[in-house]
Amino acid sequence: MRRGAQGVRRTVARRRRLLAYVAILGPGMITANAGNDAGGIATFASVGADFGYSLLWILIPITISLGIVQEMCARMGAVTGKGLADLIRERFGVRWTALIMLALLIANAGVTVSEFVGIAAATELFGLSRFISVPVAAVAVWFLVVKGSYKRVERAFLLMSLVFLGYVVSAFMSRPDWTAVAVGLVRPEFKLEHAFLFTFVAVIGTTISPYMQVYVQSSVVEKGVTPDDYAKTKTDVWVGTIFAILIVFFIIISTAATLHKSGIEISTAADAARALRPLAGRYAETLFGIGLFGASMLAAGVLPLATAYSISEALGFEKGVSRSFREAPIFLGTFTFLVAVGAAIAIVPNLPLFRVLLVTQVINGLLLPIVLFAVLRLVNNRELMGSHVNGPLYNIAAWLTAIVVTLLSLLFILITLFPGMLGRG
Amino acid sequence: MLYLSQVLGRPIRDLEGERVATVKDVIVRLGADDHPPVTGFVARYRRRDFFLPRWRITELNQHGVRLNSDILDLRPFVRRESEVLLARDVLDKQLIDVDGKRVVRVNDVQIIEAAGEYRVTGADVSLQGLWRRLAPPGFAGTKTPVEVLDWADVGYLATDAATVQLKSSSDKLARLHPVEIARLAEALSYHHGSEVVESLDDETAAETLEEMPAESQARILADMDQERAADILEWMSPDEAADVLGDLPEEKAEELLGLMEHDEQADVVELLPYEDDTAGGLMTTEFVTLPRALTVGEALARLREMAETPNMIYYLYVVEEEHSWKLLGVIALRSLILADPSMPLEEVMRTEFQRADPEEPAKEVAQRIAEYNLLALPVIDDSGDILGIITVDDAMEILLPKDWRLRLPRLFG
Repeated sequence: MRRGAQGVRRTVARRRRLLAYVAILGPGMITANAGNDAGGIATFASVGADFGYSLLWILIPITISLGIVQEMCARMGAVTGKGLADLIRERFGVRWTALIMLALLIANAGVTVSEFVGIAAATELFGLSRFISVPVAAVAVWFLVVKGSYKRVERAFLLMSLVFLGYVVSAFMSRPDWTAVAVGLVRPEFKLEHAFLFTFVAVIGTTISPYMQVYVQSSVVEKGVTPDDYAKTKTDVWVGTIFAILIVFFIIISTAATLHKSGIEISTAADAARALRPLAGRYAETLFGIGLFGASMLAAGVLPLATAYSISEALGFEKGVSRSFREAPIFLGTFTFLVAVGAAIAIVPNLPLFRVLLVTQVINGLLLPIVLFAVLRLVNNRELMGSHVNGPLYNIAAWLTAIVVTLLSLLFILITLFPGMLGRG
Repeated sequence: MLYLSQVLGRPIRDLEGERVATVKDVIVRLGADDHPPVTGFVARYRRRDFFLPRWRITELNQHGVRLNSDILDLRPFVRRESEVLLARDVLDKQLIDVDGKRVVRVNDVQIIEAAGEYRVTGADVSLQGLWRRLAPPGFAGTKTPVEVLDWADVGYLATDAATVQLKSSSDKLARLHPVEIARLAEALSYHHGSEVVESLDDETAAETLEEMPAESQARILADMDQERAADILEWMSPDEAADVLGDLPEEKAEELLGLMEHDEQADVVELLPYEDDTAGGLMTTEFVTLPRALTVGEALARLREMAETPNMIYYLYVVEEEHSWKLLGVIALRSLILADPSMPLEEVMRTEFQRADPEEPAKEVAQRIAEYNLLALPVIDDSGDILGIITVDDAMEILLPKDWRLRLPRLFG
């Protein structure tokens, strides 16, 4: 005896799904700003400290390149509904997949190391030895992720990492020479020296990292974005990119105005914290420590997890944190391996922590070309993307990015292998 | 036994053993067979692809293909109805394993010769299958037993070749519970997920959709043929259907609603005006009312005779008279069965019961259901008419964190 048609109203009233559309933090925003992790902060702080304002100009081409690369991946996610690892496997076959996944594993292992180094550096600011803090953090991250309560703590870490917004205020309070800033922003300066190239490749490696491309595409897929509502995601990607680079811009300014001016080179986290003094005075170190800890813990969980997902996805293995080791050995194995290796390397005695942070970004920069060329071939595949392939101008910019990054990486390898090439190296 | 990876790229030789081309792909015809037969090859010769029908082959093994004549017919390859190319459409793609209830990726394809026919017998999804393709030839042994998925258990092949869906596949998928079908469809890309749902019959499709997140439901129905979408909506429970329509663009929702059968349409339309986060938005209109004058025996008989029994009959709602909605009391099915058959309902019913106002926040109602351990709660308007009921599973959806919900099967439609 079903209820009959009483008082039928024929119009379809709009029922609002409240939370579905209020997500302010889209995938593009989150991913671009994930680049500002421990390694990122270290890299940008040394750019400011070592080179002053003279390297600011590279932020402009980097914004364009990062935006384009992220946008291409987001678009692929929306059009195909598949992750980057999926597409690579389905289009390029097993050999390429194995190569790219290996590259991703190495790059991400490097970045994971840098996150644990970040945790070590942060806790040592508070006087806690890394031999205690890093193992504890590794175990905590492992348990939080595998036992499924990570999502809840994630927000706390995210909130802690907002401390780095303090650099923006600090940049203004340190009274930088704004004309020098403007000059540095528009006058390209390039030196064929090892130190210069090293920093250059590190900056590219930390802003345009391979894991970000994989991550942004997966998040777009997960969010269920389709070509019809892609416009919103596109905006999100570009706004996120510009916002992330603006933060970088202010980090460089504040370190340049404080550290570079007094000729301090960054070798420890405490040095990098000094750039926050105009804002926080003697609390600079505390503030920096909290931010570094939050950002590093966040990435130390997300990064190994995202890597494990990509690898299982590409090779077709069971995945998901709710699975047991017997059900999903590759997935949980990869995750555990990354966390363990990351933590283990980070507590190697006498490790120059800040140097390690930079080196991992360089590894990232070197592996980036492989992923970039794969992305370019996929996004221009008409069978896959239909009418959503790159436009001609866009394509030129995208190829230019890939080629320049590749050339820089090759140049860097050459200089590293043959230091005599440039005279004094 | 042969693996696809051992055949691809191998030479095609004529009668004299002269190498005339290489194997680029293996063509298989999908149909009623559990193990589809090889119908031909795509051969590559001087950077051009041509077609080699099965009957021209005398031998197929690790060393390649042997032709039965010296004449090579350079007919270009054209895909025919229900044909798939193993390397292009199957290898490295995902498929649904009905037996293991999972989505897997094909690392290699197993081919077995039986009674003069080469047939695809299984999909290798193991690590060894991957290694066989990665390692230099000779390094990977073929002797070790590997995990091969029987091709008869393939429920769906996630390929972009549109014409090749397995005809028998939807029958295989339908053997699974809708919760499982929904989970598997969600694990695929949204194009393939929609294809899975479309391949099901209307009733299973409706049940499967109900287990999917609201956004997926709306997207799949919007992309579908409209008549088909309306048919599926009719099978969905009115509250779920109303939710989906609310998620669709207004025009689209109106259109689909217009295509629905009158009865089901009316049920849905009634629910549409309520806000999502109120008791009205949460309720369903499927429930049983019985007039107070009926005896217990008559009531039970009526339940049995009902053409379409609602899912939720654990509570029966007693009203003033036939065709009235004025709610007087509630009887649990248990009390009805245990009671003396000659007693009138009004003596068995409970007049003190929990109820909700249609405007009441959904969360509060859900909490009340949990608190009082109820299976359902009637929603009543100002004049005392029953509008609908809120079942415990809809209440749980509100109370439980999102990732728990995915593991929770629905108790009542």
